[in-house]
Amino acid sequence: MQHAVISMQYAIEPRPAGTQSQGVEPGYAHTANRWPAQPLERRPHSASELSGPGSLLRRLAPVRGDLAGYGDKRAIGQLIHLRARVVDEDGTPVPGALVEVWHCNAAGKYIHPSDSNDAPADPNFYGAARVVAGDSGLVELRTIKPGAYPVPDSGGWWRPPHIHFSVWGRVWLSRLVTQMFFQDEPLNEHDAILNAIREPEARSRCIARLAPTAKGPADALVYEYQLVVRGRKAAPSL
Amino acid sequence: MKNKLVPTGEMTLGPFFPREFAQGASDRTALDGKPAKGEAIEISGRVTQVDGKALDNVVLEIWQADAEGRYDNPEFLGWGRAATNADGVFSFKTIRPKGPQGRKAHVNFLVLYSGLMRQLQTVMFFEDSDDPVLNSVKHRERLIAKKSGPHAYRFDIRLRGEGETPFFDD
Repeated sequence: MQHAVISMQYAIEPRPAGTQSQGVEPGYAHTANRWPAQPLERRPHSASELSGPGSLLRRLAPVRGDLAGYGDKRAIGQLIHLRARVVDEDGTPVPGALVEVWHCNAAGKYIHPSDSNDAPADPNFYGAARVVAGDSGLVELRTIKPGAYPVPDSGGWWRPPHIHFSVWGRVWLSRLVTQMFFQDEPLNEHDAILNAIREPEARSRCIARLAPTAKGPADALVYEYQLVVRGRKAAPSL
Repeated sequence: MKNKLVPTGEMTLGPFFPREFAQGASDRTALDGKPAKGEAIEISGRVTQVDGKALDNVVLEIWQADAEGRYDNPEFLGWGRAATNADGVFSFKTIRPKGPQGRKAHVNFLVLYSGLMRQLQTVMFFEDSDDPVLNSVKHRERLIAKKSGPHAYRFDIRLRGEGETPFFDD
């Protein structure tokens, strides 16, 4: 495998405003302490931004493609089988894309020193995986559906069930960190993070869809999702 | 021609990024036990928010060329990750890069944190230089690291407020 890729024939273009958070969100107090007050600057792109690590796996080993476990080691909760495809803006799959995943347990508890939520830990659930997309850009994860949990000192904000993703695309500027939500969750409507995506269609693409049950394993609900990383083939110059 | 897809909305890293993911990737001076060619350096800095408060567990990633200005050197990995400690301080060990064609020496930085709805991109330079990205910002001095030792550089990142670091939207 090539150690790094340089894709000068790849273009990163500005994104439509309503498809991304604008930074400071009224329902999320920390955003006003941390998001820059100055407008972000535009810069010309060179090999520096349009290259990226091609074989991060030498440093970041895959861990736990299965978060649910089996038998007496099985995590508590609704078993789900997630099929997420990593594609670029052309819809071209990104085989070999490295994907990090983390989420809380079925009771809404993360295994993390910063989580003060008084919900029980599950000794059979850790909640972090690192997986690699196959030839069709497909990432599969067997896990349990995460629970909802209250955000401390937020005046009643509850996070809907969600799964965190960190994805590497083809180049440095393709890096994507996001969260995936679940279809038909009433808390989705009120979540300050999901609703920071103002455009309804773009927001709806952040929600995984339940696949027909006949399509999956008998013991798990199948959810399907698509992660679109930035970048597309540059238009040929005329 | 294919329809263009809209990139997935970015969302905050949140406060619960697994500790194991944030560790073990901040030293780029050797790969598989073999030292990388070039001058080994340390880059450290402190990340603060609007009131000057230092931020704990901020995740920073770097992407840089090797000592010859290459991004595809099989013996050097130009990507690294570190997290700040309780004093808001991060540290990378790496090789001083050479600027690739058309650019001066620099290290790309990505900042991920709870309360940052999107990733923040910035760039560290080693000295004031005629670089197209450095030339494109108003407060260029804020992108230039301070030399803090014979092989050490200091690059503080102010997310918001006085002395705010310039960030890029691409």
